[in-house]
Amino acid sequence: MDMDEAEISFFKDGLRLDGRGADQIRPIKIEVGVLARADGSCYVEMGKNKVIAAVYGPREVHPRHLQEVTRAIVRYRYNMASFSVEERKRPGPDRRSHELSKVSREALEPVILTSYFPRSVIDVFVEVLQADAGTRTAGINAASVALADAGIPMKSMISSCAAGKVGDTLIMDPMKEEDNFGQADMPLAMTPSGEITLLQMDGRLSQEEFRQALQMAMRGCREVYEIQRKSLLDKYSQLESEPVQEVQALE
Amino acid sequence: MDRKVVVPGDLLSEDAKRSGEGTFVKDGKVYSLLYGLANYKDKINVIPLAGKYVPAPGDNVIGVIKDITFSNWIVDINSPYDGLLHISEFPKRIEAEEMSKYLRMGSSIMTRVKDVDPTMKVELTLNDRKLGSIRTGRVIEISHTRVPRLIGKGGSMISMLKKEMNCNIFVGQNGMIWISGGEEEMDLALKTILLIEKEAHTNGLTDRIVEFLKSEKGARS
Amino acid sequence: MSSVLSEIRKDYLYNLVLKGERADGRRFDEYREISIEKNVISKAEGSALVKLGLSQVMVGVKMQPGEPFPDSPNRGVIITNAELVPLASPTFEPGPPNEVGIELARLVDRGVRESKAVDLEKLCIIPGKQVWVIFIDVHILDDCGNIKDASSLGAIAALLTTRVPASRFGLGEDYSLPVNDVPIATTAIEFGDVLMFDPDVDEESIANTKLTVISTADGSICGMQKSGPGMLTPEQAYRIVDIACQKAREIREKFLEV
Repeated sequence: MDMDEAEISFFKDGLRLDGRGADQIRPIKIEVGVLARADGSCYVEMGKNKVIAAVYGPREVHPRHLQEVTRAIVRYRYNMASFSVEERKRPGPDRRSHELSKVSREALEPVILTSYFPRSVIDVFVEVLQADAGTRTAGINAASVALADAGIPMKSMISSCAAGKVGDTLIMDPMKEEDNFGQADMPLAMTPSGEITLLQMDGRLSQEEFRQALQMAMRGCREVYEIQRKSLLDKYSQLESEPVQEVQALE
Repeated sequence: MDRKVVVPGDLLSEDAKRSGEGTFVKDGKVYSLLYGLANYKDKINVIPLAGKYVPAPGDNVIGVIKDITFSNWIVDINSPYDGLLHISEFPKRIEAEEMSKYLRMGSSIMTRVKDVDPTMKVELTLNDRKLGSIRTGRVIEISHTRVPRLIGKGGSMISMLKKEMNCNIFVGQNGMIWISGGEEEMDLALKTILLIEKEAHTNGLTDRIVEFLKSEKGARS
Repeated sequence: MSSVLSEIRKDYLYNLVLKGERADGRRFDEYREISIEKNVISKAEGSALVKLGLSQVMVGVKMQPGEPFPDSPNRGVIITNAELVPLASPTFEPGPPNEVGIELARLVDRGVRESKAVDLEKLCIIPGKQVWVIFIDVHILDDCGNIKDASSLGAIAALLTTRVPASRFGLGEDYSLPVNDVPIATTAIEFGDVLMFDPDVDEESIANTKLTVISTADGSICGMQKSGPGMLTPEQAYRIVDIACQKAREIREKFLEV
């Protein structure tokens, strides 16, 4: 599809190219515990994005010199499969994936209770199987659920969503065409109570636009949180044969 | 008395005094740290579905020798932390050169955690008649979070199993379990333990296990 | 537990073998449950997600015009790569493919290439200048044993769903990639003088040696690979090949008739 910027209209009858309103996130699907070997895992679809996150740990740190005496270290590796993008990508990390890995790790670290596991590592691996703008937000959403699935103690979940600007209009959760030809892209991650752990922006926004975009992205994050929470609760109810009432017999 | 599935960050109580295992307090309120079942007693405890075993002094565990240094066996105890079994904690006085003669790479042992220091250095001991090398029987692994249910209140569940199945059973807090007995008895014991693991969080489990054992033994006689 | 099996576990598996049994109750020549989901990555030209027991492998096929190799100016190019990403196993480390990953990719490639499943002559666009390049990218998601067979199955399943993206490059209309054969890899291990097919993780770690056989729709062999430190007798090799071709036929008939 050959798009000429001057010819594209991002809105038709008030709706975006994929039929969404300005204030709508793409459909999300979350599956918890999809991998056998990982300690925790989660598969997420956000629009056409397909990502899978796995958590290993806490486990022994190799190489040993990386370990910290008083806490666990957290590692996050974001990686795109060669077939995930339109033009086949050479395998292996590039500068972009290094940056995304760093900011994603920093989005999750603030809520993980690393002091519970000195001298160990919590490894988070995110593989992008299909990309359509917003893979880093989908990755963080999947990673957050995978960490819970692995039993990692956290002060809260982390949810992520981006806001953007196209055709001078602020929009929630840009898809690929809106990201490529838009005027601004602003991914955000936060706790359900609104504490920001990831904030990036590229493009151009006035200060007032930034305020509105932030509010918009925060609303998106809260919507994502509800879906993350429901997927975790649903998984538990699948494991149960009946509603529980009695106290479990414990020492 | 109540039980509820929770995720990290869920608000459990406005009363900070009720903070139990798997919870934290912020601004006087109690929140969950884990994804699991919140148990509402005097204190609110959250029991996770998954998670790694963290050794504590006094725990019985089953481990596998993974390395031998000049005076220590390094033991894999299914945890982010290895156990160290010092030569002096071996029940017999042996020389350093003989270490691999008694316990070699891949050997399994029933052992106890003697001490854990703040840097998570874990010391093990074999100095007890109930502990030692595993040479016969079978070892299986369940999630360590289910071990309390397998043991039961005051050891009730595990005593019942040992009696009904005529097997020796050693339950490691790290989720590793050793069983010894006749082939058929061990098969049944394993099946039962895996069933307990699967349904650990449900109601009326003890009765169902008793029923299960009755029907299995009936089918075999 | 660590990736090294305890002696007591090894003894247990060995004793089962002496009784003619496997830990999960399968027969020695029995495969675990297989499922193949096709076209899972719509942005790729072809794709498949293979589940073999608990193992999961995703294979994507991408195509684009490119330069032919100098020694074959009128033939298309196939490039096969496998990523054993750390997400899939506690024993996989990040980084470029090591010898295990490279061997796996070359094995998958061998099956596709030697069976002539894809006619490279038909992939010529401008002789001597432009040909279709096919990238087969294997992405391991969950290593629960025998990812070789799962990867090879994924590759041919993905190729069978591949649409040549001619319209994207102004080269006419899109069309289905012509695939002439369905090579299937089947792997057996030798342990305790017994041959077992489709090993799981524990069985792989106690195996003395492994033999992978890739067979085509007419029952002939187009690729083989012995791996591991042990030895095989000629009789064992014949027996493995015999069962391998049979198994491949069963799998081909059930999932991938072309």
